[in-house]
Amino acid sequence: MSNLANGLAAGKGASISERSDIAVTHVAARRGARAALDDAARTAFGTALPSAPRVIEAGTATIVWAGPDQWLFIEKAQAGSDPSVKLAATFQGLASVVDVSDSRTLFRLAASGPSEALIRGMGIDFEHNSFKPGDVAITHVSHLGVMVWRLPDGSGYEFACARTYARDFRDWLGKV
Amino acid sequence: MRIKCPYCGERGNDEFSYLGDASVKRPDPSAADASDAFYAFAYERKNVAGPMQELWYHAAGCHAWLVVTRDTRTHEISDVKPAQDVALEQQKTASAP
Repeated sequence: MSNLANGLAAGKGASISERSDIAVTHVAARRGARAALDDAARTAFGTALPSAPRVIEAGTATIVWAGPDQWLFIEKAQAGSDPSVKLAATFQGLASVVDVSDSRTLFRLAASGPSEALIRGMGIDFEHNSFKPGDVAITHVSHLGVMVWRLPDGSGYEFACARTYARDFRDWLGKV
Repeated sequence: MRIKCPYCGERGNDEFSYLGDASVKRPDPSAADASDAFYAFAYERKNVAGPMQELWYHAAGCHAWLVVTRDTRTHEISDVKPAQDVALEQQKTASAP
């Protein structure tokens, strides 16, 4: 796994790191299976899946809303145990489950509020506390598709972008 | 122009792509006039001056298709619904006795 963040300077007063040793799984509900999928999620993770653009911490997994009836599950990568295989078994017949660990790069910006780059460069409203802890947005930055969420404990923001654009996005994130 | 996506909230129109009139329906291919009906379905569009229902795709956002009711003269948007909900509602109406 690459580690793009280390060689580059972080933005002013902000600490930016690439998240490593994680497994990212995309889960999309099958048609008509949403209620049953929520039941399966309650059994496995103790919570229903978010219906609004929110991120929740559920035991060993972070569940990020990724569009209507779609989610990203972020879990710690473990040798000899593939989280996406486990998820596929948990949601057998209820959802399409795809391991996207190698196609997404995740960055974390440790900051109590939005950086200048976010406020000026993203088309969503970060000011006046309108993007609250736990909120998620799928948007773009200079034509690069990006998901952003604010950590539920308010300690920072995380971003998921396509791996091939990760260096460009990281450059942008550290600019201001 | 900003569109209030029912899933994501209000976003700039740079996040959306436009398909066009949401009221056109695919004709019955087994009908006697199917050839003419398909020509109209593919090519003939009304040049509406006023509110119309349009299909928009939230391409840079949640990837949902939306039915947007927009006044073509003012860009005022009076309604946005997920296209899936609109289609299901129409199916229900069509199959109702």
